[in-house]
Amino acid sequence: MSSRPPKGHFHVLYFATAGSYTSKQLEALPAPLPLRELFSTLEERYQGMKESVLDHSLVTVNLSYVDMQTDGEDEEEEVIIQEGDEVAIIPPVSSG
Amino acid sequence: MPTPAERTEESLQEPGCFVALTHSPLDIPSLMDRVRSPEAGAIVIFAGTTRDNFAGKPVIELQYSSYTPLALRTMMSIAQSILAKHSLKGIAMIHRLGPVPIGEESILIAVSSAHRQAAWRAGEEGLEECKARVEVWKREEFGGEEGGVWRANRDGILGQKEEPATGGGGGGGSSEQEVK
Repeated sequence: MSSRPPKGHFHVLYFATAGSYTSKQLEALPAPLPLRELFSTLEERYQGMKESVLDHSLVTVNLSYVDMQTDGEDEEEEVIIQEGDEVAIIPPVSSG
Repeated sequence: MPTPAERTEESLQEPGCFVALTHSPLDIPSLMDRVRSPEAGAIVIFAGTTRDNFAGKPVIELQYSSYTPLALRTMMSIAQSILAKHSLKGIAMIHRLGPVPIGEESILIAVSSAHRQAAWRAGEEGLEECKARVEVWKREEFGGEEGGVWRANRDGILGQKEEPATGGGGGGGSSEQEVK
């Protein structure tokens, strides 16, 4: 997972149910991508993923949680996923 | 399949705090030694072990996976806040990854403090925080046609069932309701 994505791409990591749904642990997607288009981009590739996985999951960019609920675009600065970033889909955790 | 590099233990250390993820069986005495202190009058250690059933359904194997760099970071932040809150002498947490045979330890938390009350409380709080936040996932394998299911600690959250050994990509798959 420490490998770099190809030029012009970012990595998205799929854990637990996200990995089962995509049958992948990670993949490279074209960057830049506005964060608010992440779920629709994934839904396009994996039909039904939003409802069964993404709506229950959190998202990190470079190991920091990001807010996927923001809809007031003009109030907050828009987050853009950049080339080389590491994005992760974090389904509900189950340690212990 | 984990590569040899992933089998090694990964850990973070700060004053009074130790957190780790490992593919090896957990060792209670060595974790206890990490919090041992001449100023402590108590060490409390919690061991979580893998159960052979989920709500009565037999579980044949459990697998844990993690987002290792983030999970370690989250464990360290929990350890540091609990250390400060309960004035502990030390706190150490380790979680096992990969397949864990039924009945073996999947998580250990050790805390030491001057007096036992703080240690009891800190141990429980540390475990609850871990279960709520640390980026580790458990998959229970039921065997046969049943396949496996990713568990969620949060109540009322769906765990998605894995199709047993199917080829083709993302499949819906039925889902299971987590019960208390």
